[in-house]
Amino acid sequence: MSEQPVPAIPGYFGVDNQLFGLFHGVTGPAQTAVLLCPPFGQDLIRSHRVYRQLAEALANRGIPSLRFDYFGSGDSSGNSIEVDWLRCQADAQAAAAELRRRSGCHRLVGFGGRLGGSLVLICAAAAEFSELIVWDPVVHGAAYVAQLDALQDQLRLDSMRFSQPRSSLDAAGQWLGFPVSARLHQQVSMVRIASTSVPTLILDSTPQDTPNEFAPLQAGGARVTSLAPTTVWNDLDRLEHAVLSPGLIRAVLSQLGAAA
Amino acid sequence: MTRTQGFTEKAFRLGRAQHLIGVAGLPDKPQDGAGVGVIVLNSGLVHRIGPFRLHVDLTRQLNVSGYPTLRVDLSTLGDSNGTQESLSRRQQVSADVADAMTLLREQSGCVRFVLVGLCSGAGNAHIAACTEKAVAGVVFLDGYTYRTVGFLLRHYLPRAFRWASWRRFLLRRVHRQQVAPSAADFGHKYPARAEVSAELRDMLERGLKLYFVYSGGVSDHFNHRRQFREYFGRIAVHKHVTLSFFEEADHTYVLAGDRLKLVRSVDQWLQHNFPVKPSKTP
Repeated sequence: MSEQPVPAIPGYFGVDNQLFGLFHGVTGPAQTAVLLCPPFGQDLIRSHRVYRQLAEALANRGIPSLRFDYFGSGDSSGNSIEVDWLRCQADAQAAAAELRRRSGCHRLVGFGGRLGGSLVLICAAAAEFSELIVWDPVVHGAAYVAQLDALQDQLRLDSMRFSQPRSSLDAAGQWLGFPVSARLHQQVSMVRIASTSVPTLILDSTPQDTPNEFAPLQAGGARVTSLAPTTVWNDLDRLEHAVLSPGLIRAVLSQLGAAA
Repeated sequence: MTRTQGFTEKAFRLGRAQHLIGVAGLPDKPQDGAGVGVIVLNSGLVHRIGPFRLHVDLTRQLNVSGYPTLRVDLSTLGDSNGTQESLSRRQQVSADVADAMTLLREQSGCVRFVLVGLCSGAGNAHIAACTEKAVAGVVFLDGYTYRTVGFLLRHYLPRAFRWASWRRFLLRRVHRQQVAPSAADFGHKYPARAEVSAELRDMLERGLKLYFVYSGGVSDHFNHRRQFREYFGRIAVHKHVTLSFFEEADHTYVLAGDRLKLVRSVDQWLQHNFPVKPSKTP
């Protein structure tokens, strides 16, 4: 099915209109809508284009969607240091309610990449998602935090970036370009996801030599599909390279084909 | 619309074909009609929030200082679409900036504008400033720069006998071969120096105020304040030209402290060159 594209509508929603969102509507009636939960920090910027492409591809198939920014990220209110894991969960629920209101669809699919995928998995019941599609979700927060801390330390010494090495103090309290509160650091390190309460498709684009962290989710019924080419998320050489993944868009459209 | 202490942000679809997406920041206390609005252009392919959210930090600080702002995605960048027009890139950039100025004029009442751009954004700001009469100033972040004899001496002489420099040189060569050719990076090309110099002279004759900010991230092209005069000559000492060199910082200000220094610097330059005059009407 191909619908007449409708221009995405930017606006604010949520408590005190603090959250920025772009609603990708469709002309005809829709049964299902997709909430696109972004990753955090630099992953959000790197994947911005692929999220836009996905939203437009969904709209062309007659599936409305909402892209949004968590409080303290993107165009939403708040400073970057104010990003809070629990607030992000509340924001995702507010975004789900906003999408239902705008699209008229009760059936929502939650989509998220990296920490956005983790959030979707955690919020599935509260946001009343009928189905989840998650892209390289972070399921072991402590390992993820350790990786980001190590990369941040490498960043300040990166001779490709700085003429002279920077001090530990200059780089303290940040993850790859974004300030991180001690609270968020602790919250993300506590993330551990081993089960899912709704039908879940995991799109795995991590390199093949990465240990399979999704086994517990698979044991609980989640399906895993590998994506090619692989996505390199944590590499200083690619820190400011856009993540492009036509395979991701094809996989999501394929999964939602029946729903549309 | 979202309200924060001292200003309000509104999101818009704008432009002659309603093809652009932008977020305007409007101070609670409006300026008088002679005030300037600030428009921040995309840096490379990064959408309007800027590298590491630099454009959000910058525009909100300027809103607190009393300047209306617009961070906008130009045609096909970020969340903006293209148009069906048959325009050259320069025409398209100028038309998009004109659209952005129209929106900010409608929202804030200001009729003069300062453009801010980093890297390719500086190039686009330069293009628009050449033709758009409402542009009163430009902040070029790592804008055009040209290697000079002085640059080469400062760059190569100290390095010739240092092993670390050779190692870095070789690493960069390998890095470019391995990563850059296959990846979507944010590079751009410079026009000829004579062409740029002539255009800058024209801007200054029209009364524009120009702020050039260079970072250590372009040390392969710029390595000393003196170099600015080496390639732009008398333009460099014009009373409406200001230069800053943040040698420690990288090209996209990845460290929060470096971003803060940059934001404060742009804010101070604006307050010095385009002081905010509150409106007399309540």
